[in-house]
Amino acid sequence: MVAVILTVVFVVITLDARDRVRAAETDKLRVSENVFSALETKRQQDQVAAMTTLAENPTLKAALDTYFTERRFSGSSDEQLRATVMGQTAKLAMQTPADVLAVVQTDGKIFTSAGPAAGRWPAGTQVDIPGGTQPAFQSVAMLPAGAFRVTGARLTFGDRPIGALVAGTSLDANYAQELSNLSTAGVVITVNESVVARTVPEEVARDLVASRASAGTVTLNNEEYAIRPMLFSGPARIFMLTSVDAAARAATRDALFALATIAFGGILLAAVGSFWLARLVSEPVNRLSGEIATMTAGREFDRTLEPSGTSRELDSLTTAFNDLMRSLAAAQAETRSAYVGAIRALAAALDARDPYTAGHSERVSTLSVMIGRTMNLPAADIEVLRLGALLHDIGKIGISDQILRKTGSLTAEEFEQIKRHPGLGARILRQVPFLAPHLPIVELHHERPDGRGYPFGLRAEDIPLAARIVHVADAFDAMTSARAYRAALAAAVAFAELERFSGTQFDPACVEALLAAMPSSHDIEEPALAQLLGRQLV
Amino acid sequence: MSIGARNFVLLAAAVLGLMATSGTRPTAQERSSVRGRVSIGIPVTARRATSTYSRNVPTVALAPESELRHVVVYLKDAPRTPAPVMHAEIRQRNENFVPRVVAVTVGSTVDFPNDDPIYHNVFSLSRTKTFDLGRFPKGKSRGERFDKPGVVKVFCQIHSHMSATVMVFDHPWFVVPDEGGTFELPNVPIGTHQITAWHERLGDTTMDVRVEPGRPETIDFVLPVPAQQ
Repeated sequence: MVAVILTVVFVVITLDARDRVRAAETDKLRVSENVFSALETKRQQDQVAAMTTLAENPTLKAALDTYFTERRFSGSSDEQLRATVMGQTAKLAMQTPADVLAVVQTDGKIFTSAGPAAGRWPAGTQVDIPGGTQPAFQSVAMLPAGAFRVTGARLTFGDRPIGALVAGTSLDANYAQELSNLSTAGVVITVNESVVARTVPEEVARDLVASRASAGTVTLNNEEYAIRPMLFSGPARIFMLTSVDAAARAATRDALFALATIAFGGILLAAVGSFWLARLVSEPVNRLSGEIATMTAGREFDRTLEPSGTSRELDSLTTAFNDLMRSLAAAQAETRSAYVGAIRALAAALDARDPYTAGHSERVSTLSVMIGRTMNLPAADIEVLRLGALLHDIGKIGISDQILRKTGSLTAEEFEQIKRHPGLGARILRQVPFLAPHLPIVELHHERPDGRGYPFGLRAEDIPLAARIVHVADAFDAMTSARAYRAALAAAVAFAELERFSGTQFDPACVEALLAAMPSSHDIEEPALAQLLGRQLV
Repeated sequence: MSIGARNFVLLAAAVLGLMATSGTRPTAQERSSVRGRVSIGIPVTARRATSTYSRNVPTVALAPESELRHVVVYLKDAPRTPAPVMHAEIRQRNENFVPRVVAVTVGSTVDFPNDDPIYHNVFSLSRTKTFDLGRFPKGKSRGERFDKPGVVKVFCQIHSHMSATVMVFDHPWFVVPDEGGTFELPNVPIGTHQITAWHERLGDTTMDVRVEPGRPETIDFVLPVPAQQ
């Protein structure tokens, strides 16, 4: 499509350029013709002036006048005088570039001639020179030997004419070539409508004569020529002609070449430019989409993208994306809190199955958070701890009430049942992707540093910190809560128990943290703690 | 100068008259005079000389006092007859020879005084008398004696438009008409003669005249003017 448009544009421009070039060339030809005409006029004037000067040669005039006066008076002629005239003429002929210089008598006959073409101007031959009283004249003289362009000056004494001095230039190929060189145009010379000399192809000269055109633009031999008459004198015609087509062809070719170069350069520039522009636009887009992909893959919905600033459209897209992400994050948070609420309710319901464990999960959660804070855990870990502790006994949903509520000691089989609850809990939580961080707490909160815990018997540092914390909190709450088979232990007793089994059952750091977290661990009556724990510790 | 010419004519007439009265051979009865008038077919317009030396040449000076002063009327077939030696002059004035035409007898001298504040160089290539007076300034004059009959064209080597004619006769029967064109040839022998009116450019007009004793013969010349080209 673009190629078609470009082609059409190119063709239109080409035709337009061709026309313009033709017009310009025609103008140029006219101007150069005018210049040549002016030069030629000047040249002719110079020739006239030169001839007028030559015609003032005193010896020539004196000899000629004396010769004819004597012949008239005495009837005999003095050959010495004739020789004098001839000698002077020959001398003057050297001073003119003309082909022939002749002295013409008042009766129009050649008295003598000199110069390269003197042989074609024999004495006694009649030469038609214009009449009148102008001191000088220009015309074309037809001699038996051919046509000559003549410039002449009259030889006079005052008002008494004694003849004329005439310089003749043969209208031949040489002259045509000379004119052609001067005018840089083609030259055709015709006499009586037949071509006597030409510098253009024969067909063109033939068509020119046939066309009878004298000026303007004429088609000759299938080419357009600008024609200008240079000399119309008697039967002789000198035409200057220039092929408009030939001149326009070269100029058109140049113009088209320039056009093509410009077009090619333009296309190249456009290609480079659009490539650069595309890169300018696509790079931020690529970066943005890359970041979005990373975010999506990493589910980092709470991250915001920085506007690149490269384009308004891109920035508004980024802003819209950020808004979307924010609302997505908000929705996710909402979902999460709904989940958490449901889980908390579930945990509470679970706790409620046994009156002795009511509120256990909430308390373990509170205690775990306290321990975590004391241990200066990052906020994110605290949050994991809070929910993980809440859910830590979720697996007990799969343990029968008989076992859970059993007041007597458990059989080995029943204890095996109990030991299944971390695994069960983990299985349940695996269904919910966003609870993945809490899995270790649920699954490993019964592991012991000495490796005697369940379900895997992991040792010390192999157990995640969160699981260790929850284990300590769980034990503390279990001890300070009443059971069907025993009364609640005092906090101090529970602490003592914790300290006693610190390092074996319990992680020492966690135990220390719990002790530190209890501001009134030695003052069990502290009401704030009772309130915090949600029940009477005593 | 016209005075000079007139004087010359009068002198010639007086000489002839003296010759006639002193009476060598032909008696008064054997001679008579031919008088007449020369006119030109149509007036010849005086033209300014064409000169590439575009100096300030006064037009008035170029206009001949009368074209008729450039005519010489003479007996064409006159026998050689001794005639008194004359003295004439052709002045160079305003780049012109004045007069342009003089007629003298054989042995006469023509002086060429220069009145112009510029040099002139008078010369002739004529068979009758070839000379070159060289350059001479204003106030100087050089003369030339003409010992052979014939026509002598005189030019200036410096100013190519200047020309004059000296006609030298070996008989006394010639005259330059006055400005009115009237002329008289006295003491013409009785008989039929060819009489010619010569003009430097209008050619020769020759007529027969029969001179009879006792009364002067009258003959009028009309010089043909060639069709203007």
